[in-house]
Amino acid sequence: MATTSTATRPQPAARGFRLSFAQRRYLLAIALLMPVILLRLFTTVYPFIQTAYLSTQKYNPAFPPQKFVGLGNFERIAGDLVVQSSIEFTLIFVFVSTFFQIFIGLAVAHLLNAPFRLRGLARTLNLIPWAIPMVIAAIGFRWMFDDQFGMIPDILRRVFGVEARWLIDPYNARLAIVLVNIWKSTPFVALLLLAGMQGISHDLYEAARVDGATRWRMLRFITIPMLLPIITSVSMFMLVWQLAVFDLPYAMTGGGPGFATTVIAQKIYLEINALNFGFAAAIGIVLIAIVAIIGGIGLYIYRRVEVSQ
Amino acid sequence: MAVQTVHNSVQNSNPLQIWLRHHGETLLTYAAFAVMVLVIGIPFYYIFVSSITPSNELFQIPPSYWPSSPTFDNYARMSEAVPYFTYFRNSLIFAVGSSGVSVAASALAGYALARIKFPGSNIIFMALILSVALPQIAVLVPMFQTFQTFGLINTHHGLIVLMSSLVLPFTVMTLVSFIQQVPGEIEEAALIDGATTLQVLSRVVFPLIRPALMTMFIINFIISWNELLYPLVFAQRATTKTLSVGLMELTADSSTFTRPWDMMSAMSVTMMIPILLLILFGQRMIISGLARGAIK
Repeated sequence: MATTSTATRPQPAARGFRLSFAQRRYLLAIALLMPVILLRLFTTVYPFIQTAYLSTQKYNPAFPPQKFVGLGNFERIAGDLVVQSSIEFTLIFVFVSTFFQIFIGLAVAHLLNAPFRLRGLARTLNLIPWAIPMVIAAIGFRWMFDDQFGMIPDILRRVFGVEARWLIDPYNARLAIVLVNIWKSTPFVALLLLAGMQGISHDLYEAARVDGATRWRMLRFITIPMLLPIITSVSMFMLVWQLAVFDLPYAMTGGGPGFATTVIAQKIYLEINALNFGFAAAIGIVLIAIVAIIGGIGLYIYRRVEVSQ
Repeated sequence: MAVQTVHNSVQNSNPLQIWLRHHGETLLTYAAFAVMVLVIGIPFYYIFVSSITPSNELFQIPPSYWPSSPTFDNYARMSEAVPYFTYFRNSLIFAVGSSGVSVAASALAGYALARIKFPGSNIIFMALILSVALPQIAVLVPMFQTFQTFGLINTHHGLIVLMSSLVLPFTVMTLVSFIQQVPGEIEEAALIDGATTLQVLSRVVFPLIRPALMTMFIINFIISWNELLYPLVFAQRATTKTLSVGLMELTADSSTFTRPWDMMSAMSVTMMIPILLLILFGQRMIISGLARGAIK
């Protein structure tokens, strides 16, 4: 660090060994990037390589020895009903959540962009679900959905005459978790879409108004097409990011009833707790593969949307 | 449009319809706002009410929507059921440490990526962004083993390393876009006057982007404060456990015949207070910081 900063002085003392300006700038850049690069290497690249290696091992510290099993762990995954169910629920969770987050998010962004007196308050309010801990949302809603004392079954019963058991029935438990996730993360999506809406030129709407376009047609033919790149990138981000969901099902249902709401991340966590490190690593690799496939497809679609603009 | 309006108003001269035509959109906007207030507000109302309802009243059918005798007893019992103040302190150390480290490291990296042209800078930037996709839990096993080897489990700095690394990519991305907006002439002038790069950074660049640094500090504080997975796995003693872990511990408390929703609600309320204060004072910063990441 000291050498590079000395080197940027306009007239460096003549020494035997001198670096060109470009070389000095290059070294400076690397030095400045070093903390970030080291931290990221330590928490992503290195453990990723280790995970790939461990996934080929039968390794449980409680039952040594460790031994090479090739694709044995993956064969076990193919026959493991809990892993299969967790993959199935994770995909349902991610796609259904993202669809409604974008859909409702567009409506909320539209509201937050509308000119009305309480708009500032609405924008602040919109931040709150995003900002509170997921564990609190999970536990709060778990309490509200409680089959015995919960407020949601009570209101459904008294106002709509609907009898529903939320957390004992596997389908309803899955539905409840997805609903809570939509509640928690739609505001974040709305915020990003709002930023996109604010970037659309007013001239477009002015021209449309002069031509006698209705509100709905402006939304359909200006806002949505202009937002398409950002809708695609936000969808992609939400899909990939939510594939790793852990805290919501863990704190809300603990994966139950049975294994109905167990997600891939929680299955990994369970295997780690059981000290089945090799098997847990193999499920981790499966999760990474799913992220890579969905992320890759998303990136491909994003490129095409961006080019067509 | 104008012709149509006149035509319509001749057809429907009912005062209500005229009023609706002029204010219908505003009415719709406020109706939508009211729905939003209810959907966001009711869960918070219910958590708060549960936290001040005596437990014998809380566990009854039908549920009560306002306690007959509000009490803070649940808060007192909660802080005895778990070492609340220790956990609160740990959460604070964890969140301040993680956001401090991540913002400091990202400010340096952000300057390099925004200002210095060098081969590979685009690749590093892209790799950094793509690395967000790697799920933290998928690579947890080797992380855990490494932490065991180096004695980093149950340490504050171990947790801070993990958490700050997790939020780095987004922080770097946001700061790069902030720094690119600052004109570069002042830095060049300072360099010509003989300032070293470190002086330029500390006296010119960082003061100019102080709002951005503050913004990312707040956002990363919130994200770290809310984190469950890392403290759950890497903090196994009371000396490092955070509030989110404490809340999960409370779940397992079997002093009542059902889960102790009264104490859990009380703890949830206290855990949300710092977050709500940050929103109250930093909402503009938070919104602009989050939005900037999206536009890029």
